[in-house]
Amino acid sequence: MVGGNVRRTRAIVGGRLTLLTAGAIVMIVPFAYMVVTSFKQNALVLEIPPQFIPHHPTTANYHGAWSSNHFSRYFVNSLVVAVCTTVFAVLLSSMMAFAFARFRFPGRRLLFGLLLIGLMVPTMMLLIPQFLLARQLGALDSLWGLVFFYTAMNLALNTFLLRSFFQDIPRELEEAMVVDGAGPWTRYRRLILPLSRPALATVGIFSFLASWDEYVWALTVINDPNRRTLPIAITLFQGQHSTSWGLVFAASLIAIVPVIAIFVAFQRQFVSGITSGALKA
Amino acid sequence: MRRNRMLVLLVLGVVVAVSAATAGARVTDAKKKTTITFWNAYSSDGPEVKRLEKVIIPQYEKTHPGVIVKDVAIPYDDLHQKLVTAVAGGQLPDLVRSDIIWVPELANLGVLEPLDKAMPDFKKLKSTVYPGPLATNYWKGHYYGLPLDTNTRTFNYSPAALRAAGLSRPPKTFAQLKSYAATAKAKGLYLYAESGTSGWNLLPWIWSAGGSLTNRSYTKASGYLNSRKSVAGIRMLVDLYKAGEMPNIVLGGNGGLGTYDGISQGKYVATLDGPWMFAIFAAAFKNTKIAGTTIPAGPGGSVSVVGGEDIVMTHSSKNKAAAADFMRFMLKGWAQNEMARAGQMTVLKSLTKQLIKIHPYYAVYLKQIANARPRTPTPKWPQIDQVLETKLAKAFKGDETVQQALDSAAKQIDGLL
Amino acid sequence: MTVSSSPSSTGSIGRSASARRPISRTLSPRRRKEALAAYLFLAPGFLLFALVILYPIGRAFQISLYHWSIAPGLPSQYIGLTNYSHELHDPIFWRSLVNTGFYMGVTVPAQIVIGLMIAVLLDARMPARAAFRTLFYLPVVTSWVVVSLLFRYLFITDGGLINWVLHDATHVSNHNIDWLGQRWTAMAAIAILGIWKGIGWSMIIFLAALQGVPRELKEAAAVDGANAWRRFRAVSLPAIRPVVAFVTVMLVIGGFNVFISVFLMTNGGPLDETQVLLTYMYRQAFSFLDFGYGSALSFTLTVIVFVLSVTQLRLFRRPSEAS
Repeated sequence: MVGGNVRRTRAIVGGRLTLLTAGAIVMIVPFAYMVVTSFKQNALVLEIPPQFIPHHPTTANYHGAWSSNHFSRYFVNSLVVAVCTTVFAVLLSSMMAFAFARFRFPGRRLLFGLLLIGLMVPTMMLLIPQFLLARQLGALDSLWGLVFFYTAMNLALNTFLLRSFFQDIPRELEEAMVVDGAGPWTRYRRLILPLSRPALATVGIFSFLASWDEYVWALTVINDPNRRTLPIAITLFQGQHSTSWGLVFAASLIAIVPVIAIFVAFQRQFVSGITSGALKA
Repeated sequence: MRRNRMLVLLVLGVVVAVSAATAGARVTDAKKKTTITFWNAYSSDGPEVKRLEKVIIPQYEKTHPGVIVKDVAIPYDDLHQKLVTAVAGGQLPDLVRSDIIWVPELANLGVLEPLDKAMPDFKKLKSTVYPGPLATNYWKGHYYGLPLDTNTRTFNYSPAALRAAGLSRPPKTFAQLKSYAATAKAKGLYLYAESGTSGWNLLPWIWSAGGSLTNRSYTKASGYLNSRKSVAGIRMLVDLYKAGEMPNIVLGGNGGLGTYDGISQGKYVATLDGPWMFAIFAAAFKNTKIAGTTIPAGPGGSVSVVGGEDIVMTHSSKNKAAAADFMRFMLKGWAQNEMARAGQMTVLKSLTKQLIKIHPYYAVYLKQIANARPRTPTPKWPQIDQVLETKLAKAFKGDETVQQALDSAAKQIDGLL
Repeated sequence: MTVSSSPSSTGSIGRSASARRPISRTLSPRRRKEALAAYLFLAPGFLLFALVILYPIGRAFQISLYHWSIAPGLPSQYIGLTNYSHELHDPIFWRSLVNTGFYMGVTVPAQIVIGLMIAVLLDARMPARAAFRTLFYLPVVTSWVVVSLLFRYLFITDGGLINWVLHDATHVSNHNIDWLGQRWTAMAAIAILGIWKGIGWSMIIFLAALQGVPRELKEAAAVDGANAWRRFRAVSLPAIRPVVAFVTVMLVIGGFNVFISVFLMTNGGPLDETQVLLTYMYRQAFSFLDFGYGSALSFTLTVIVFVLSVTQLRLFRRPSEAS
């Protein structure tokens, strides 16, 4: 590259970095406050004005949160449920998205429309009918019951997202496989899935997060304290008259760790160059 | 690709194994004994739940072999929603520590067991508890629960702020409230801060003024809520607000200076609150001492509002006898005393002296609760409270006069009763 | 002629990727085989979806036609569309509709534009790219409950961080703004929370989409002498058009379904000034136990969102120019 170009590129990169850093700071400030408060002792009230430097920092809140009342068990429960939900949700929704994106069949519009409606209905309103259904299915107070319902709740969004990605994959590649005699399942497995790794990773992250953070449904169907999930544990630190903010924030930060771990692990899927080679215009 | 697949299968395998293991573990101990499920809303790091689980329940299970008490804590803000869903789905537990304002609603839905019929010793139990809290369990001729713990609001103030306001004593009457508020304003402080206009906030003033929300049988509000005395009680506060002697958090918006923060910062002198305020100040606002006194008396005396929780038994419970036993246990002196040490005010008339020994500040609360009144026990209380809150806020804002606001509120409440 | 729908009329978002049909389109057995394969792929997921989502939706609609009593033993009274007509005369319903629309009108464009901007900035070789991605995504993975309470605290009038910055530190404002005490400032605060929390989500999706734009196309445009902005407009933007459509639809749906943040920051207050559709529905259903009315409100919300989404999908469906 020519010398002038190098300087310009560096300036561009520098400019981008500045913008991104500024944005990241704005994003981070509330977090910084959470982190700081989680190290404060006995933070029953949030001080006014906000103090960003704790007087006597302590890790007591983290110890307290983790060792309180089955917290570690709730953590494991949430992890199990989230992982299973992610696997099933990604599998089932990618199959559905493949069908919607690649096949023509009677009822395609209708079925997709129904899927969309499922997206648009506020879940709060379905609480009681779903509770009655769960009772009929014997899915109450059970982690597998949670997986069952969570998978279903994630299907619409995931299918919608994956369908738009699948539609972008040019048909020529697939038609080549058809000519070679490959059936739909083979096409799905060998072509579509590998090519849409960024999308699958995205959908995986979303499903994991949705299941990990889900509160209302878990609160409704789970009564056995041994089967509780993490969001309830965090909310239990909020009392009727006062809230232990240090504990709440410490617990929340503990809860963020796995999601970030999954996110970082899946980030490698967002590598450009994998797709550009295969998709010749 | 193969490595990824292996990883996925491995994770799945671990997950299945773990869940299978945990699923199996639970079944064994519950088989031979009777299990009573007890829902409550204690926060998970609070002293109450620790005492319940580590002291009270083990003692009960020791003296009642064959019974296991399973307590399930549900966040307070969600307990009502969970109860409602459980009602719809027919999945209620045996016992619930229910907020007193929900008992008539649950009773009206037919999901509670009338204890005066189900427990032969109910009359005796009834006589051991304060009448105010007991009345919260009454609906259409029957009692559907027993009080478990109670509280009320007293006039809590910071002596340091009092002095800074140029006062030597807290107000004891309506007249003193008015004049002291002016004195405090001159020194740049608010004498009395109230954080909303709902029933819990303002009913003590209506009652102390000699008015009331409804008639004695809770069937009519017109003529009572908008009676001259009720209006006078509210008008006193509205005048304080209009004169700038009450902070604007009374309008209910979030974001203003809360009562605790205001008192600890020396901007407010006093507020009405329950016994938890002392525990919270001791833990979080160590530099501010507070003291309590009875609510300033008006023409109706010094009357406060009853809060607290009742313990109720569900109609669908399959272990009613065992559940009733646990209820009796929770209402006995020993258990009540234990919970009192954890900060829950007892409902037993006999434990007065013990209570004061545990925490001296209970003395004022005991005095106040002797004649404290419950909010209207009716399933429609949430709607009524909503009407009150909206209309009274309009009166404070000045959109309507106090008389107009209370007139229209009374009419709306009539429709709900 | 052919029975099945043409490629572009399936409600698909954005470009008709390929208009070519198999040569043997008129042969029924092949079409039947295709349909069968499709149904097989659809079946597991869709059956689950139908059972857990569609069937409860039907029940919920049924509930909205009744004065529903939640106790199984007590009878419910059929009242037809009374709940819906009651809605139309309910001033708080209209107010909550306006508030919800405001929230959506502010947060959706903001999240799209800012999310896209950040995705573009990150769609290049840069130091610490992964770190930035994670940082921007952090708000998305934090629970709504915790962030809502946190933001309520930050927006406190006297001494809150926001006012401290605006009034004490930078003197942009000459007094402490009573954020949560009045309707529009409270809605603004809630919207700011929504934007803050949502940017990472749209950023991730746009990033995935931009990664899929073949680098050759971008490089070809660069060789042609186009600068960054023109390259973006001519190449990247059309290429990710379906994704933009998707994000828009999803954000609109999410915007209409805003609940926890409003519930915890203002609880619809003061005096129902900041009610949004879902908080109002929640109060009707769970506080007042009027599930019939609550269901009716939810369905009205659903219909509005549905109409909006279909309109958006149609708007985005114009065939793209790039090939």
